[in-house]
Amino acid sequence: MIERLGLSPLTIQAESMVAVWVVLGLPLLLGAVGGLVRPARGWPVAMAGLLPLLALAWLWRDVDSEAGRSWMIEIGSLALYWRINGLTLILIALTYLIGLASALYTPAYLREDPQREPRGQAWFWPLLGILISSLSLIWLAVDLLSLYFGLELMGLSAVGLMLLTGKVDALVAGLRYLLLALVGSLAFLLGVSLLLGAWGRLDLAGLARAVEPGAPLWVAVALLSAGLLLKAAAFPLHAWLAPVHASAWIPISALHAGLVVKASFFIALQLWLVLVPEATVAAWAIGGMAGAAVIWGGVMAWRAAKLKDVLAWSTVSQLGYLLLAFPLLIGTDSAVAALAWEGTWLQLAAHGLAKAAMFLAAGNLILATGEIRVAGLAGASRRFPLSLLSFGMAAISLVGLPPSMGFTAKWLLLHAALTGGHWPWLAVLGIGTLLSAAYVFRVFRYSFIEDAPEYEFHPVPWGMDAIALLLALSALLLGLAMEGPLDLLRGAGEGS
Amino acid sequence: MPPLEETLLAAGLLLLAALSLFDRHLVRACSWFVAFGLVVTLAWARLGLVWLALLELVLGAVLTGAFLFHALGVTPSVRRPRGFFAHWHDPVPLTWGLALERLLPALAVLAMLGVTLAALDDDSSGSLRPGGLGLLVLGLWAFALHRHLLRRLLAFNVIGTGIFLLLMSLVGPSAMPAAHGLVVIGLVVALVGTALGALLVRRIEALEWAHAAAPRADDPST
Repeated sequence: MIERLGLSPLTIQAESMVAVWVVLGLPLLLGAVGGLVRPARGWPVAMAGLLPLLALAWLWRDVDSEAGRSWMIEIGSLALYWRINGLTLILIALTYLIGLASALYTPAYLREDPQREPRGQAWFWPLLGILISSLSLIWLAVDLLSLYFGLELMGLSAVGLMLLTGKVDALVAGLRYLLLALVGSLAFLLGVSLLLGAWGRLDLAGLARAVEPGAPLWVAVALLSAGLLLKAAAFPLHAWLAPVHASAWIPISALHAGLVVKASFFIALQLWLVLVPEATVAAWAIGGMAGAAVIWGGVMAWRAAKLKDVLAWSTVSQLGYLLLAFPLLIGTDSAVAALAWEGTWLQLAAHGLAKAAMFLAAGNLILATGEIRVAGLAGASRRFPLSLLSFGMAAISLVGLPPSMGFTAKWLLLHAALTGGHWPWLAVLGIGTLLSAAYVFRVFRYSFIEDAPEYEFHPVPWGMDAIALLLALSALLLGLAMEGPLDLLRGAGEGS
Repeated sequence: MPPLEETLLAAGLLLLAALSLFDRHLVRACSWFVAFGLVVTLAWARLGLVWLALLELVLGAVLTGAFLFHALGVTPSVRRPRGFFAHWHDPVPLTWGLALERLLPALAVLAMLGVTLAALDDDSSGSLRPGGLGLLVLGLWAFALHRHLLRRLLAFNVIGTGIFLLLMSLVGPSAMPAAHGLVVIGLVVALVGTALGALLVRRIEALEWAHAAAPRADDPST
């Protein structure tokens, strides 16, 4: 598995390094500009958003011809290690896509939201830039120092974004989130310190060769995983997620559920694959947590009264599927691992796109009806067909019906569990699908109530609907064009 | 046998940390914390890590202290805390049973680390490592015990310092640059976290004041 992570020997090329710096730096720059200009319309954001996409295309063209590249960056006597391969490219593209959708959605959202806080708007753009850059750094980095830096930057900017609402409940939820994030980073730092103390290095490729099983390794990995899983809202550590989403701005919830929680998961999985590739028992324990997350998250989403809570709990449940990667990838034979590898990353991308689309569509519905409860959607099917259509298409991917990307991902995971004879995970996947269908159809049941009283409502601008629709369409239709991404994921393993 | 002054430094650190974490008087606790930051600066300087000492002085002691006092609403001209922290003392009473119960997670972490450090079996002579471990345990205990936000921020900072000391006692000379990098990032994160927490406390307080004042203004009975 380790070669699939692209920890290949170093090949330093100054030219493509420039592209990497541009990809990392451009969001920061645009964020700073946005903070000064504070765009009130969508089209300047769209124009500016083309720049990072062009930079990504440049990087893609540079790297696509090979299996991947890695670099060593020396700052004084400090060595940082970065790499880029098919997986990294897909993740950066996903980050840019969801980030751009949120950025496009925000100006219109702030115009529509009656209770907006003008002070928050200036902060939104720089924080968004920092968040996107730190996420890109996390996908690129293969040494623990860069990862620690990226993780902290991401965590603090995410806390900052959550606070922009400026209301008391948002601030109280943000305080809890801040404390949790800080505790998570302390655990991470302690784990990194133990690794550095025991083996004297922080690059993952070197650590993979150097580490020996024993108490230091187990304790360090336990601390690292605890910190990361807390930040990823993995099952028993998930309680902070729903209150934090309940009071945040809609585009920020979309970013958070789509990307931020995934970054911690990504680091955790990468560390396990590198440091403890044979820890089957521990991986099964994580699998148990995954099953509990899928079921508990699904039940809570089904019972939640508010629309945003439904989505937040559904994130807990869907993250459970991602956690299944631990038992399916660690200590399994290569056939199972190959299937699970593709299934995991597709699930990550599918859930990111679908959940972001769902949050944006839900935001449109909430703004249009002025209701935050699921029951307040009564009659929405006639009045806001477009928002409901986006919600529905994202839901298809979330539940995992064909032809969506979510279907392909779950199919691969299912196939991996079958091949390995892991029956418990099959049951988890089945129950999870039923539960997600249940909570999605509960939303639709309310929307299709025909004899609802005519409340006052105002439709949102078409641009907001269009963004949600495009994201939902991409989650749905990328399932039909799965060969390209799958080739990239496979190609990541071949050339090294 | 570690040199005497190093032992004294470690003991002083532990004492100041315990005072700042468990003093019931909040303004005094924050003052103890600033003193703690100054002693940490001394400890880094004694190890020959001048840059870290400077950073700790500026970020850890001065700026963190300033934000803590800001959260309390204490300025050079106003010595009494206001608002949220109008009571000088931590409002929640502490009992021995609770305190002992909350010590358990800290001891569990200590046991885990003890096993690890024993397995690493390098010869460490300094008192930095026991000092760092002690700070870690004290901080964890306080973090689990207190519900008060400011105390949790203090505990977070103490745990962070404990980890830094532990890290510096563990690494060999070849890994020093990486360890420096980690500590510098950690210091900045601790400062930003404390600052965010302090500003949040002030903001929540202002909003709650406005909220409490609004109905009173149009209440005819008052």
